[in-house]
Amino acid sequence: MAADSTALGADIEPLTGSYEASQRSARLRAAGRWLWSAGLLVILGFLVVYPVSMLLLGALTNTNPVVDGFATFNLSLENFVTVLANPNVHLALINSLIACGGGTALAVVIGLGFSWIVVRTNTPCKGFIAAVSLVPLFVPPLVAAVAWSILASPKSGLLNTLLAGLGIDWRFDVYSMPGMIVIFGVYYAPYVYMFTASALRNMDPALEEAAEISGATALSTLLTVTFPLIAPAIISGMLLSFIVMLGIYGIPAVLGTPGDIPVLTTYIFKLTAWSPPLYSTAAAVAVILMTVTGFLVWLQHRVVSARSYITVAGKAFRPAVMNLGRWRYFTLGLAIVYLVIVVVLPTLALIVAAFRKFLFIRTMASLFDARQYSLIHFERLFDNPLALRSIVNTIEVGLITAVIGGILSFAIGYTIHRTRLSGRKSIDVISTLPVAIPGLVIGVAYLWAWIGLPGGLYGTIWILALAFVARFMPDTIKALSTSLLQIHRELEEAAWICGTRMLGTIRMIVLPLARPGVIAAMTLLFVLAIRELGSSLFLYTSETMVMAVLLLDYYEGGNVGITAAFSLVQTILLGVLIGFAHVLSRGGTDTGVGKAG
Amino acid sequence: MTRTHLTRRQFTTAAAASVATAALGARGAAAQEYGPAELIDAAKKEGKIVYYTADFTEPEQEIIKAFNKRFPFVRVEMVRAPGGQLITRIKTEAAANKLLADVVNHSDRGLMKDIADLFQDYRPPNADAYRDDVQVSPQLWPKTTLGWSIAYNTELEQKPPRSWMDLCKAEYGPKKIGQVIAPSGGTTWTRIMFERQTFGDDYWKKQAATQPVLYPSGAPTADALVRGEVSIGVLLYNIAYMKKRDGAPLEIIFPSDGVPLNYYAAGVTKAAANPNAAKLFLNWCMSEEGQAFHIKELGYLTALKKPPFNPPGYDPAVIKTWAPNFEQYQSLRDAWIDEWNKTYGYRQ
Repeated sequence: MAADSTALGADIEPLTGSYEASQRSARLRAAGRWLWSAGLLVILGFLVVYPVSMLLLGALTNTNPVVDGFATFNLSLENFVTVLANPNVHLALINSLIACGGGTALAVVIGLGFSWIVVRTNTPCKGFIAAVSLVPLFVPPLVAAVAWSILASPKSGLLNTLLAGLGIDWRFDVYSMPGMIVIFGVYYAPYVYMFTASALRNMDPALEEAAEISGATALSTLLTVTFPLIAPAIISGMLLSFIVMLGIYGIPAVLGTPGDIPVLTTYIFKLTAWSPPLYSTAAAVAVILMTVTGFLVWLQHRVVSARSYITVAGKAFRPAVMNLGRWRYFTLGLAIVYLVIVVVLPTLALIVAAFRKFLFIRTMASLFDARQYSLIHFERLFDNPLALRSIVNTIEVGLITAVIGGILSFAIGYTIHRTRLSGRKSIDVISTLPVAIPGLVIGVAYLWAWIGLPGGLYGTIWILALAFVARFMPDTIKALSTSLLQIHRELEEAAWICGTRMLGTIRMIVLPLARPGVIAAMTLLFVLAIRELGSSLFLYTSETMVMAVLLLDYYEGGNVGITAAFSLVQTILLGVLIGFAHVLSRGGTDTGVGKAG
Repeated sequence: MTRTHLTRRQFTTAAAASVATAALGARGAAAQEYGPAELIDAAKKEGKIVYYTADFTEPEQEIIKAFNKRFPFVRVEMVRAPGGQLITRIKTEAAANKLLADVVNHSDRGLMKDIADLFQDYRPPNADAYRDDVQVSPQLWPKTTLGWSIAYNTELEQKPPRSWMDLCKAEYGPKKIGQVIAPSGGTTWTRIMFERQTFGDDYWKKQAATQPVLYPSGAPTADALVRGEVSIGVLLYNIAYMKKRDGAPLEIIFPSDGVPLNYYAAGVTKAAANPNAAKLFLNWCMSEEGQAFHIKELGYLTALKKPPFNPPGYDPAVIKTWAPNFEQYQSLRDAWIDEWNKTYGYRQ
């Protein structure tokens, strides 16, 4: 780190000094650049390239590299040929694209709409709306799907029982493609919200004011100025939510299976859960998924790099708040309807499931029969010593992941977006790779890659944290990049001209301005780490059990009651921790803007 | 008074002697049933085991709790995973010399036979009381035995099916029967193998005509049955039993035309860091007390020649039990599952 103050590609010539000093400084700077890039590449090699190579090796062979050794490999494309020739894989791929594409479109409408309502309008109770609009993010997909199946299953859903009680013939059917699209859209809208709210909050309103002065209507300003200006945030949120949806197992497993709608993740899970498991075939399907998402990542890079999105410059401003007049009650109404549909109803369904002995509810009168309710699921949950241990482990691993991942992602994000170092393109590509790999498959690749390492990493919390850092690095970097891209270079240049070195500039200028983004990214990482199931499955041991794995154990054991009870505990825990991070983030925004001025 | 005094003394002495005899007897019985005193002392010193299982968390937790009532000094740390994932973990850990498990309990005897050399020689004290035909390797023992049953929601089904053949009747369709897909694992493969070998090659076709709802595993099937998504569920008895025990509106029957059984394979690993505690745990699970607990409280069956207890409606003298021929279990698997998938329209 000694050389870093002069490294990182700052192309500012020293203002004073002799020719030799300048030469020495240039050599030091070059060495520093080289060391920095090499250091990042070594870290990425360990975290990403090595496990991904194991995955590719798995796809090209039918062996377990740890068990069979490297000498016995018989490389062939057989797995790919088998998978590509299977019409059911084609169907699963098409279903995945339709469900996730539709879900993403809905997520953008909801997420963007809410971020605009919260940040740029005078809708009442905005703080409350902002807090609860993030709640779906904390609910594990498996639990979200279970909650919605309780509500809207065509045969026994509570909403349908209610409709039947009212004499209405129409029925909700969540076991369908439109059902899956709605649930995806609703639960992944917070990804879009997090990106766009942050961008809207940090946006210079000058262009909007100009549009207003030029006679543009509020709607036309919104559509032609505001949203295009925050396009990187919208595209990042959209891309991230699409990719995350592609890798989700819980929702299509619970909602798609009864409706006979296979998707790629449910197909991959089947391959890994069979006895004997077909990991090599699963790895081949995962490579197909990687190709699809890799293409999308490339597309996003093209779109973002083609335009300038600098909206945070060296002057103070406060984003304009639009006076909606009486319409502000309409936007509040929209928010309330959203809350009821997205948060209140599923939470109620979970509460009913967690406190009710059994979920057989034929009539609405039975729903309110107090004799059917008890604390038995909570008692059984905490009777299991693993429950408490898993909570402690999960918080520990979440915090380690958020801190290490946050620092590493900031270093990578800064290198990619704010420097001209050679090797930064490779760093960009490598750090984006894990986004495309489903957790179910990469989990076993981490096991294969890291179990043999000396030093006793296996069996500790650290192996889980490292897997999560690697797996969610692209998400964290994307979240940070939005903030980094918006900071004008003039601010850093001003600091360099004033004699501040690179680290000082980062500490005094970049970090304070990007602080909301950094905290949002670390919060996102924390949430993702706490919910992550796929890559935990092979890395946890009896002493490092995490909540997501125990939750799956209960679900697989067929006890929706305990699953719901544990989900409520997890949700409350996350809510408290996220609320804390939200307060930090808000403080950061104020400070950041103040300092920029 | 003297007489009374003497009587009291005699009584006290006799009582003390009885208690001592009973205690010694109990200790002797314990030694006989759960292992010698040296094993128990050594297990006490080890104080814990790491237990890998493919069975579900909730029943395993209850088994551990019952074991700890008798042996509170052994802490059981459990790792639970579905069969395929558990085998991958064991193989990889073993290859890296980092196998953490002291005891493994797996539902797929075929896969366990492949890794039998990872297990040490072990025989429970009551080894001779077990059926000889269900062991796939001398090191591996049938700690867990599961039986297939037909369960129904009593609120929805007034005329339940009583046999496997009844499940082919049109009155139980469409979408009334919930069942687990054939490729889900060893237990379901056992059931569909039984169906075809017992009722003929066209059984699947007749049953599929009722358009059953297919689920990926027993858990969502049982959940759907309790919630009323389906009114009949083809389920492992223990899955339905625990729900019924807790008050769910379910009734369970053992079909009159046969009960397919699935035996687990359990053993103590060679790498065990706590071999004595591991053996004590398995000894208790395999003991008559342990097996009776499995059956009575959790709805399992047993591989003991003389079951200590039979679940309601299960009389081995009347009901025909069925266990697969192990060679056929291995050799027919892929082709038959493929055929089942086609017959039931399950997309693989």
